[in-house]
Amino acid sequence: MKSWSLGLATVAALYAGVGHAHAWSLKEASAPYKGTTITVVGLDRPSYKIAQQLTPEFEKETGIHVHWNIFPYEDTLKEETLNFISNSQQFDAILSDVVWPVNFADPGWVLPLSKFTSDDKLADPDLDLKDFFPVWLASFTVDNKLYGLPFDSYAGLLYYNKSMLKAAGFDKPPASWDELENTYLPKLSDKSKGVWGYALQSARGETQTADAFARFLWPWGGRFIDYDNKTISVNAPNSVAGITFRQSLLKYMPDGIVSDDHSQVVQLFAQKKVAMITEWSAFYPTLAASNLGDDLGIAPEPKGPKGGYSAFGGFAYMVSSQINKKHQDATYLFIQWLTSKAMAKPLIEGGAVVARQSADEDSSVQAKFPNLAPMVDTWEHSTVPDWRPQLGCYPRFSDIVSDWGSRIELGQVAVQAGLDSMEKDLTGYMKSSNCWGKINNPEAAMAQYK
Amino acid sequence: MSDRVQDRAPPMAVAPPSWREKMEPWFFILPSVILLLAIGLYPVIYTLVASLQSWVMGMGPPSFGGLQNYAHAFTSSDFGHSVLRTLVLIVITLPIELALGMMIALALDSQNFLVLRRLLQICLVIPIAITPSVVGLLTQLMFNQQLGIINHLLGYIGIPALDWLGRPLSAYTTVLIVQIWEWTPFVALVLSAALSTVPQDIDEAAVLETERWWPRFRSIQLPFMWPGITAALVFQTAFTIKEFDMIYTIEKGGPGTATETAVMQIERMAFRGFDVGLAAAESILMLVLSILLARIYIRVFYREMD
Repeated sequence: MKSWSLGLATVAALYAGVGHAHAWSLKEASAPYKGTTITVVGLDRPSYKIAQQLTPEFEKETGIHVHWNIFPYEDTLKEETLNFISNSQQFDAILSDVVWPVNFADPGWVLPLSKFTSDDKLADPDLDLKDFFPVWLASFTVDNKLYGLPFDSYAGLLYYNKSMLKAAGFDKPPASWDELENTYLPKLSDKSKGVWGYALQSARGETQTADAFARFLWPWGGRFIDYDNKTISVNAPNSVAGITFRQSLLKYMPDGIVSDDHSQVVQLFAQKKVAMITEWSAFYPTLAASNLGDDLGIAPEPKGPKGGYSAFGGFAYMVSSQINKKHQDATYLFIQWLTSKAMAKPLIEGGAVVARQSADEDSSVQAKFPNLAPMVDTWEHSTVPDWRPQLGCYPRFSDIVSDWGSRIELGQVAVQAGLDSMEKDLTGYMKSSNCWGKINNPEAAMAQYK
Repeated sequence: MSDRVQDRAPPMAVAPPSWREKMEPWFFILPSVILLLAIGLYPVIYTLVASLQSWVMGMGPPSFGGLQNYAHAFTSSDFGHSVLRTLVLIVITLPIELALGMMIALALDSQNFLVLRRLLQICLVIPIAITPSVVGLLTQLMFNQQLGIINHLLGYIGIPALDWLGRPLSAYTTVLIVQIWEWTPFVALVLSAALSTVPQDIDEAAVLETERWWPRFRSIQLPFMWPGITAALVFQTAFTIKEFDMIYTIEKGGPGTATETAVMQIERMAFRGFDVGLAAAESILMLVLSILLARIYIRVFYREMD
């Protein structure tokens, strides 16, 4: 029944342009590409699952065959980079994390979207770029050129157990990190009963860099990079204050949290062993399907002394420059369809998270999906597009952050000493890899879309 | 004497082998040689060439960098520590695997315990048959402090829940335990095969001579087993140096870098940091270490019995 209604919604979406003045239609636009097969990179996550379910509708309408190639997140950049380095033309639609645009755009591996949006035969008049949240468009803009259309877009959210908070005397979640630590956690944590107030996914790798480190940098005024002076600022006083605060939370977290990844933390929360977690909005379908039931509460992440800077992450689809023009055009048509306004609601209904204002801000949709309102609030008011820096050398940069971040969290090195070492290693690497010349500051592109 | 000379048939003129006859053996082995060169030598040469280049994927084309990657590898504490962790893994697991493997091999060899022999034969295949990454995932679940069965079982004998994976030393210990569990059966099978090379008549004579197992083992069985023991050592060292999927799936070398072995560090450099040149140099160094250890084993342990 669900797939039937989704199918109907998709068909409606496909024909949405029929009444338009010059009647641009996907069917007509795709006619020259009938029979073409395109390969799309995807992840093993809910947004891609529903996208795959809906794809046959696109294939039926266009005659373009879509082959999904699904990877674990950890391997995606490697697979795509190897595809480009070897010029294997294995992938047509390139999936870019919010921190990878410069990796793909700088060597010219992906095409600016203006190449397609300026082509009347390909560009859907209802594309409506302004319907995407500005922070998302800015994130995929390099040198004032937009390279990707956002898909599978996340915000960091505070998930809390309403019953556990109520039993401790709280009728709403904490609004600030200070309140969370000093008011909530002492009352919510009881190690003797195996119950903890908070859990922070901290596993080595991007989880440590994004979830366990950056989350405690920005709200305290810390930064990874000082763009003006071209210096690394992870050991500046504000950064030290944030990471010191993170260490102070450890006593309220389960032992061994340093090795826990998203799945373990979500599991602990779902099993009611942890009262609060800060996780990506993409985990809502998993938690909604758990035994938490009505106990599941969702709010924006707590604010820090310098304001609200919630976690920011997600993806966009880009078109490979290494494939032939026919494949490029067919790929663009698919990306345009997948990220269209008309597809946003069917995707959300199926468990995806999208960055379309018209769908995310729709009160009827928000009523069904409580993760949307705090997500919208975050994207509009409480995050920045360079929450993690966009560097040509980001993978190794992130690796160094993760390495020292883990050591600090384990207590193997003091906060200040660890951050000093991190700064030294990052500075050395940025210099040796000539990475200062391969930086994109998406914050600068925000004005372009506001 | 002269009759003998007359009886001898005159030597036949042997025609020199034709070009085709000369080349014939080469044609037979050529496919194998080409295959070996393609799958064995070419990757090594490619890695060697890459190790001499400054090559970070996505940061411009490779350029000749001389020995700078080797210099970086030698001075990198990150790589040094990962090599040390690998060597400690070998030094601790190998003797235990050999001792346990020997006990299992002797038990299998014993004719008196037929039921035990059958049972052990079945058990030996299980750890070898399970994919290492599945072993890693099972470890992650079984050793989880809150949800794992290991702590649950320890609870029955009054041992409080241990944080197996959350602390550097305990996480490394977990890897040691699982590594021993996974590879002891392989060692046992190799040693069992070595034990079967002991000539039956000599062994029976020894049994008639003494009923004590130790003199029989030390003087009769062990000398015949040295080639097998050497093979087990060489293989196990190579397997341990190459061990990746099991340790990676447990917790990606964490917490911190506590369980990161050299090969994981190399993978991280190559496919997370995209520094192909440095990763290639580190790979060559590990290859040299592996060959060096194999040579030492052969020199120290290898003895053939007539």
